[in-house]
Amino acid sequence: MKPRNIILLLILAVILITIGVLVATTIDVSAILPIQASESAIYIDQLFRTMLGIAVVIFLIVEGGLIYAVFRFRRKRGETGDGAPIHGNTLLEVIWTLIPAIIVIVISIYSYQILTEIERPGVKPLVIEVIGKQFAWEFRYPDEEVTTTSLHLPIDREINLQITSEDVIHSFWVPEFRIKRDATPGQISELILRPTEAGTYRILCAELCGPGHAAMVTEVVIESKEEFDDWIEKQSNLAELPSSSPEGRRALFITQACGSCHTLDDANAVGIVGPSLNEIGAIAETRVPGLDAQNYITQSILQPNAYIVEGYTSNLMPNNYGERLTAEELQALVEYLLEQK
Amino acid sequence: MSTESVELKQENNWKRYFTWNTDHKVIGVQYLVTAFAFFLIGGALAMLIRTELLQPGIDFMDGTIYNRVITNHGSIMIFLWIIPVLAGFANYMLPLMIGARDMAFPNLNALSFWLIPVGGLFVLLSFFIGAAETGWTAYVPLSIQAPDGQTIWAIGVILLGFSSIFGAINFVTTTFTMRTEGMGFLELPLFVWSMLATSLLILVATPVLTAGLILIAMDRVFGTIFFTVQAGGDPILWQNVFWFYSHPAVYIMILPGMGIISEVLPVFSRKPIFGYIAIALSSMAISVLGLTVWAHHMFTSGMSPALRVPFMITSMIIAVPTGIKIFSWLGTIWGGKLRFTPSMLFSLGFISMFLIGGITGVFQASVPFDLYVHDTYFIVGHLHFVLFGGSVFSVFSGFYYWFPKVTGREMNERLGKIQFALMFIGANLTYLPMFASGMLGMPRRVVDYAPELASLNLLTTIGAYILGTSVIVFFHNAATSWLRGPKATSNPWRALTLEWMTTSPPPIHNFEELPVVTSGPYEYGETPGASDTRQTLEVTGD
Amino acid sequence: MEKAMETMKAEGSHHEDHFRAGKALGLDHRKLGMWLFLSSEVMFFGGLLSTFLFYKVNNPSPSEVALLDVVLVGVNTFILLTSSFTVVLGLTAIQRNNVQGVMRFLGITMLLGAVFLAGQGYEFVKLYYEGMTLSSSVFASAFFTLTGFHGLHVFIGLIWAGLTIFKAYQGQYSAEEYGGVEIFGLYWHFVDIVWIVLFTLIYLV
Repeated sequence: MKPRNIILLLILAVILITIGVLVATTIDVSAILPIQASESAIYIDQLFRTMLGIAVVIFLIVEGGLIYAVFRFRRKRGETGDGAPIHGNTLLEVIWTLIPAIIVIVISIYSYQILTEIERPGVKPLVIEVIGKQFAWEFRYPDEEVTTTSLHLPIDREINLQITSEDVIHSFWVPEFRIKRDATPGQISELILRPTEAGTYRILCAELCGPGHAAMVTEVVIESKEEFDDWIEKQSNLAELPSSSPEGRRALFITQACGSCHTLDDANAVGIVGPSLNEIGAIAETRVPGLDAQNYITQSILQPNAYIVEGYTSNLMPNNYGERLTAEELQALVEYLLEQK
Repeated sequence: MSTESVELKQENNWKRYFTWNTDHKVIGVQYLVTAFAFFLIGGALAMLIRTELLQPGIDFMDGTIYNRVITNHGSIMIFLWIIPVLAGFANYMLPLMIGARDMAFPNLNALSFWLIPVGGLFVLLSFFIGAAETGWTAYVPLSIQAPDGQTIWAIGVILLGFSSIFGAINFVTTTFTMRTEGMGFLELPLFVWSMLATSLLILVATPVLTAGLILIAMDRVFGTIFFTVQAGGDPILWQNVFWFYSHPAVYIMILPGMGIISEVLPVFSRKPIFGYIAIALSSMAISVLGLTVWAHHMFTSGMSPALRVPFMITSMIIAVPTGIKIFSWLGTIWGGKLRFTPSMLFSLGFISMFLIGGITGVFQASVPFDLYVHDTYFIVGHLHFVLFGGSVFSVFSGFYYWFPKVTGREMNERLGKIQFALMFIGANLTYLPMFASGMLGMPRRVVDYAPELASLNLLTTIGAYILGTSVIVFFHNAATSWLRGPKATSNPWRALTLEWMTTSPPPIHNFEELPVVTSGPYEYGETPGASDTRQTLEVTGD
Repeated sequence: MEKAMETMKAEGSHHEDHFRAGKALGLDHRKLGMWLFLSSEVMFFGGLLSTFLFYKVNNPSPSEVALLDVVLVGVNTFILLTSSFTVVLGLTAIQRNNVQGVMRFLGITMLLGAVFLAGQGYEFVKLYYEGMTLSSSVFASAFFTLTGFHGLHVFIGLIWAGLTIFKAYQGQYSAEEYGGVEIFGLYWHFVDIVWIVLFTLIYLV
């Protein structure tokens, strides 16, 4: 090859590598990435940017070459002749076999390092059981014997989630944490993480699990150790509150996990599988002509399929609250809901 | 009655396409037309999906119906569109390309075709009998609990698997035993090599899916408890069995397409293929390696953490033979005399889009990154770049290329370019935003999504409508050209593979006299500046 | 530029040998087709067998394993092996132009195959009454599915044997033309070999 061409190629190579390094280290990818709320997010974003840098270079080379060829080698009008009878070039073919091979091996090794880093088991992690079911998440804190419908985590603590399912395969995913793990019935899958950014984030289901798959959303709250301890203590006291008191009625709503499917600001419930209950006290009497609010709400709890709200699906709400609730509990719940206006 | 007039009668009789006919050319057309019909159905389902996802909120489909639509969209596009349409091209062209008069087992060939509409009927029927609604991946235990249509769907897929397997037996036997004199393995067109590699995968992988579907059917119908968790059934077993086939399936869906690209580029660059042996061997390498990567679909399943690493490595390595092809194709057009027919445009579009699909595939092969994007729209974007930007583009490239040979008429070139432009823009607009929506928190198979993702979904849906428009342009072009297009010569592209050395369309026995081959299939430019005087010289302007 | 293709005048197209390339490689196209089909069958049984082995290892059902009658099935296995031997005898016979011989030996094969199936049916019924059913355990589900589909393949083989005998009766086979018998033989031997593997992994290990 002519010395001039070699120099041009070298300059091109330097430019491309510079672009790659710039992309990997400085480009702002926050437009397509949620905030980093866990340690694993930091590592995975780093991995992504590195791979992106390499990808951009490869794309520029191949697509650039293609576009260049399209313009440079287009046939001239009326030309019917052939191009040169070149069948290959051994050196070139060896290079474009070896370099990609080296690149993927390097990416594999780097990925392995990242993987080891994010899955390093903690020294004394906080163990929480995560149970997926159609279509809600349940979280059990074994030490405090508390079961909740939203996940609270103390910041900067090592967490070990023991994830399983009661029915079909679901998948526990918090985009701000990046990593996900399937919730498979009959087995417990472990997910290790360390939350680093306080805030409230969505927990999504990432494995098709039935009609309510898209609605299987709840939240994870990352808070300070004090706030977390406070919250846990409140949860464990909920069951002891008498159901006749206002706090007790709200507690009943929470412990019966109604919030896993319904939104109710008063109870910090964010469920979207079923309709919001924020105004149910006012709406109830208008829903069915001739049916007053109290009876509407009572029947809707005991026979969920009786009056489906438009835009929501039947056969999703459990229909056995008649057995699960005592008469006093049912009445307390209904009274609580009647207050929501 | 003379042989010729009998043949004329046969050739002009459209009714034979509805019968049990053993001529591979008839079977090829049967495959192609049937597959394109299913493409329309699968595409209509896609339009439904994107219309529902145009805005956040439930618009006109609830979760149940939506799950049925996406399940059938995927199942139809994979089992009733891409796999059969490529088999259709192979059926028509493979015997011609090797200088044979038909396939090795003509009756088995007819059976292979007829299993398609029957299997397809089962799949479509399942839609109306409380359908399959678990995604085409049919994960257990959800698919054990699903309504009756799921069993009907499974039977349909099993039948389609038989079609594929019988086709593969035919392709391999034909290639090994019916090549004309002078055609050794190093003179085989690369499309034939790609069908060999594809057939290997079909024979090894498809029967495993059959076995798995039988397990599901037995659980649903005969009371076995393979996937009853309380009794010790393991849902991960299904995932392993399913993906052992379904990963090679994606190579079954792309290798023939890559073979088409290797045919088209030399013709419209007037240059030999660059790196013939490398491309042939890379097809075999992808085939073999393709059998070793399946668990990269299961990185989040809770599978043994250590086992994820070898699968990451094999999944990364498979990028190397794939890259060899892309670079070789670049080397083919480099220094050529490029002519931008619609066929050539689709091949160039293939390279561009498959490049993005392939690169994002390497991203996904990385375990930690996959833990993030698995089961999100990132995957949906990746798979559509390789399956639409890859396989479907290659189908259109092959269609425009071989249409004159099959029908004896020419497609309208201007409409073809319009279709390409719309399709290329539409596809990129549809699928590029998906990488972003996936990374920003949109899981797969959701009828609804968070409001922040609205603008990305809007872009995607607009792109989908543009895609739909381009398909309409295509069908208009194909239909009018088939009925009234200008007559084509035997070799309108001045190509050098054997299918062009006979009439358009070929006579029932393919060749008046079997050709004898004395050199390779891409010997352009033997004398720089001149071209073969032996071939039909009809230089169409552009 | 002189191009790749010259054409060769054939001596009349109906005498052309379509499979010339195969003959050069020593491949009979029908046998190649059958071998390819059998390779896909290997993968099919591989899928069912892996399922069986997976559950046998992870969810052993010792009480049900104890119900399996190795002696009965051992005898049955011997019968199936003998039926493969008679196929070989039948093939040898037709290679010597002995049409009666091939019919007779394939007839014995059918008989032995039917006895095998009867034995398997008897075993299934016996297990059923002893409490091992399709749904009694994952081991049992896998056991019955695996051996059941093998039995189905034996059954298909029986029909095929019958068809082959019928064709022999019609005079379609001779010392020059016995390919159909060979192809059937390949299938039957394959079914037999699969059984040997199954018998070993289900009953002996």
